[in-house]
Amino acid sequence: MVSPLFIIAAPLGTAFFISLFSKEKQRLAFLITLAAMLLMSLVSLHWVFTYLTSGPVDYYTAGTLPPFSINFRMALPEACLILLINLTGLFSTLFLKNSLLRMGRLSMAVLLIDIMSLSGIVLTRDVFNLFVFLELMAISTGGLVLLSEDNRAPAAGLKYLIVSQLVTILLLIGIIFAYHATGTLNIDGLTVASLTHSTGGKLAFFLILIAVIAEVKPFPANGWALDIYESAHPSFSVIFSVASSSAVLFATAKILSIAGPEWLPIASNVGIITFLAANLFALSQTNDRRLLGYSSLGQSGLVLAIIGQQDILGDHYLYVAGGILLAHAVAKAGLFWMSGIIKGRELTDWTTIQGHPFLIFSFATFIALLIGLPPFPAFYAKWELIHSLAGAGRFPLLAMILLGTLLEVGYLFRWFGIILKRKPDGPGVLQKKRHRKRMVIAATTAVGWGMGYLWGTLSPLGHLFHATPLLFALSFLLLDWLPARIKNSLAIAGLVGYFALQYAGYNPMQLIFASVILIGGAVILLAGFDNTGRRIGFYPATVLMFAGLIQLIEARTSFDFFAAWEILTVGSYYLILRGKQSEPHALSYILFSLGGAFLILTGFSLAAQGGYQIELQMLGTVPQSVAPWVFLFLALGFMTKTAAIGLHIWLPGAHAEAETDVSPMVSGILLKAGLYGLMLLLMTMGKQQLYGVELTHMLLWIGALSALLGNLLAIFQEDAKRLLAYSSIGQMGYALFGLALMNHLGWLMAMMFVINHYIYKSMLFLSIGGVARRTGTKEMYRMGGLLKLMPLSFIAVLIGIIAVSGVPPLSGFGGRWIFYNAIMTSEYRLPIAVLFLAGPIAFLYLFRLIHTIFLGQLKDEHRRIQEAPFWLIVPQMIFVALLMGVALVPGVALRRVDHYIGQFFPNEGGGLNWSGMTISSDFGYWNPVAIMVVVGVMFATLLAWLLFVNRQAQVVKQFNIVYAAERPYRPETTHFAWNFYAPYRKALGFLTQPLVTRFWQTVTDLLHAASDLFRRIYTGNGQVYAIHLLAFVVMVYLYSKGL
Amino acid sequence: MVLVVLAAGFMLILLGLYGALIHRNILHMIVSFSVADTGVNLVLIAVGYMPGRTAPILDSNVSVADAVERIIDPVPQALVLTAIVIGVGVTALMLAYAYRLYQTKGTLDISKFTELKW
Repeated sequence: MVSPLFIIAAPLGTAFFISLFSKEKQRLAFLITLAAMLLMSLVSLHWVFTYLTSGPVDYYTAGTLPPFSINFRMALPEACLILLINLTGLFSTLFLKNSLLRMGRLSMAVLLIDIMSLSGIVLTRDVFNLFVFLELMAISTGGLVLLSEDNRAPAAGLKYLIVSQLVTILLLIGIIFAYHATGTLNIDGLTVASLTHSTGGKLAFFLILIAVIAEVKPFPANGWALDIYESAHPSFSVIFSVASSSAVLFATAKILSIAGPEWLPIASNVGIITFLAANLFALSQTNDRRLLGYSSLGQSGLVLAIIGQQDILGDHYLYVAGGILLAHAVAKAGLFWMSGIIKGRELTDWTTIQGHPFLIFSFATFIALLIGLPPFPAFYAKWELIHSLAGAGRFPLLAMILLGTLLEVGYLFRWFGIILKRKPDGPGVLQKKRHRKRMVIAATTAVGWGMGYLWGTLSPLGHLFHATPLLFALSFLLLDWLPARIKNSLAIAGLVGYFALQYAGYNPMQLIFASVILIGGAVILLAGFDNTGRRIGFYPATVLMFAGLIQLIEARTSFDFFAAWEILTVGSYYLILRGKQSEPHALSYILFSLGGAFLILTGFSLAAQGGYQIELQMLGTVPQSVAPWVFLFLALGFMTKTAAIGLHIWLPGAHAEAETDVSPMVSGILLKAGLYGLMLLLMTMGKQQLYGVELTHMLLWIGALSALLGNLLAIFQEDAKRLLAYSSIGQMGYALFGLALMNHLGWLMAMMFVINHYIYKSMLFLSIGGVARRTGTKEMYRMGGLLKLMPLSFIAVLIGIIAVSGVPPLSGFGGRWIFYNAIMTSEYRLPIAVLFLAGPIAFLYLFRLIHTIFLGQLKDEHRRIQEAPFWLIVPQMIFVALLMGVALVPGVALRRVDHYIGQFFPNEGGGLNWSGMTISSDFGYWNPVAIMVVVGVMFATLLAWLLFVNRQAQVVKQFNIVYAAERPYRPETTHFAWNFYAPYRKALGFLTQPLVTRFWQTVTDLLHAASDLFRRIYTGNGQVYAIHLLAFVVMVYLYSKGL
Repeated sequence: MVLVVLAAGFMLILLGLYGALIHRNILHMIVSFSVADTGVNLVLIAVGYMPGRTAPILDSNVSVADAVERIIDPVPQALVLTAIVIGVGVTALMLAYAYRLYQTKGTLDISKFTELKW
């Protein structure tokens, strides 16, 4: 086995050796440097395997034992960190080739010394030796900053040196007093000697600790680091962010091990404040590297906070801290390297990677790694961390971690949106022909996925890569070069095939949801055959969403459920972002969704009671002291997905701006994920009271208000797809109301809504999408008279609105009938009245939809329009048939569900009686076939009468209005469609004030204002930074006195 | 005597810090840091000093057997030596930086180098 001393000796020797070279032999020096880095990486890798199983091993120097000599310790964490540091060094050397050759062999020597000092920081067990390595790090950092061609870099380097001078002073004084108090400088010796038990020892320990923490770049003493990030060579920033930060974080952990757990809160608090502040300030950044710098500071802070949690994390400490640390390392390395191949420094300059799918994929991988989305290590780590925090009752920290992460989501996904949706500034911004650099980025991406696999393997809770749906979705990443039609066929086959394999194992409720997701998804996907070309990126996202959805339905534990929830959120986000004008809407979607996901995470972690997961079926057994809170968090989380009023502002834009065949997926299917969650919640936890408030009663009100306001907002829309989107808010309100009634028929109605809403909303979105495709607009007042040109779309819309409005004979009526029965037994009068009011409003917007698009006068520019594309019509006709089918024989689907729901209300009669063709309740009966016949006969009679009356009618041309008083020349003047419900707006418009939008807008404005205001403490002046550091030390000292 | 050195050391540290914080000229700051470094070294010496003992050199005057009783602890002195060397390195690097900065802007006023901020 190679001694760890090698990792110090090899770079030192190489650095010395190459500095002897003549100036002409730069290339040779570079090759030797590269070889040394490679060798050290290989040796580190060998250590990782060696120490995988064995415990820590100490290596002594100078032939004697501590305290008379320095010793190195090697164990698994050390080996992993050394590997990380050396790999970073290796890849950075590759990336830095040109700069190193330009600056000469001495710069290579400095690079080697930097990597050596970082390894030394990790390995040494001697405090003074730590000081030496820290100083070496400072000096070599000072040297490497100068590799940059940015002429602002020297100023940044000097600021760092000023700060490091202060750190030196603190550290040396701390060290000498620690030695004076104990007679040793060995970390383990200091522990044994109980350094922190005496007053002087405490002060000495504080000085050492604070000096090391200062190197972690804590808020507010981190302005200098930002300046380095902004101006240094990106590849040095990788070393600085990944290797240096990891090394000093490990050093902090080592120093903390000297003292007892009572010192841990210092790390926690400094860490979390840094995390929050850095992520807040990052919101206002437009410079890419500075933004990455803020993100790095934040992540270091988070790891520091986790180091402070080792008392509660126990065995999971390394798994959690390592997950966050390594995920950040890989992500940040990848992002800084990417910034190295992009010439511009504004966030918008990254639009240049459009048209490079692999770079976009890498970017998406890196931000997912940073945020902790599945299937990456930080996902597992954050899950365990949050559960441990909840178990130990550390709620403020829990809240701050999630809040900081949400801020991070905000600026990272905003950036992603900019990259994909903004117009590139011009060609040639991307550095061409940098295969070496792209290889480094590709390798980093691969390492990220590999680590996701590794963390899954180590996870005691479940391995996300073992889930077939997710693997199927990921396989589309590899197949993305195929033509869209082949991928479409594969996706449909996958969905249907999976359903065929699995359906036998589902209970009736799962079966309904699974049919809507898989079979329903397959039907909507038929519309995808309309696309020619390759449709890059569409299928991975789509199938990812479906994979998440079906895993959600199948989940048995809270962990599986949450992982599925995040997977479907991410998939649908990419899908929504594909729309032309979707950038802001996709961002608000992901913010609300992940915000909701964090609420769900909090709820589950509370429910787990210190465990790491809970069986979903056991949610009902959660102790009464926390149960209402669990209910509250979970319900709020699920309601972000159903877009309950107040949390709905993302929906209209996201659904309306999506592509033609995406709108039906995200509306007809995706919304059901929230309903499924709510249903599961109510089934297991039932009614809960918080401070005497009946929470289901609150849900009832939210449902009623969502129905009313959603419908009301829908009638005032000019954009047809927005109208449909708002209508979804109303429809989900109905479903929520039904669930919250907490009786048998209410739930049955909600299930009916799951099916109905899927069918008619998908159908309407497809037909309106087809019309919009043909007319080139979504504004209804620009359409009109399309009846004869697009008859099939008209039929679909007609059938659709009959179904939505709930009039006989279609299935919407069935829903209404169950609903009326359900509220007969309910005692909540007022919300029911509100809900009733919503009903007629629905008629208004539905009428507007069919009237302004298909009836009235045809516009001049639309005279040559054809029917919607064939493949858009096919699913619509299937939906028409389905609607008829469900209307005629609703029992096929609902009978078993009715029976299944019955077991949750054993004391209630309430169920329906399904005998023959008739369905009867306590209050009456419903015979769908008879109704269909009656309505059919009425329709036929009226039609016959109409034909009879009109048999002698004279066919005239559009403007042949002979008997009118005036003669209009343009269709616009005869077809009134703009501001269609102006009188209603006068009467009810006050209810549609965008108060909620304004509220959330104010929240984000305040955050941005705070960000822009407080980041100005970083004035750029080196002396101010020195004062920050001193102030930081004093503040932490005062705080530590209180401990 | 030890206390005097200790006090002088801390005085120098504070003086150095004070100087580094109020002088805008980078060269002045570097000198101030050197003063503070010297103060730190004095503190190290003072803390490590043991009255009445001799230098930690084993020769004819000090035998190995009674070394523990007679010599002062060599560790703090080794620390000081190392610290001095490192201090020289950092000072040299800072001076190099000062030179580079002067080349770019023709000034050594640290408050003029604030393009990087926020």
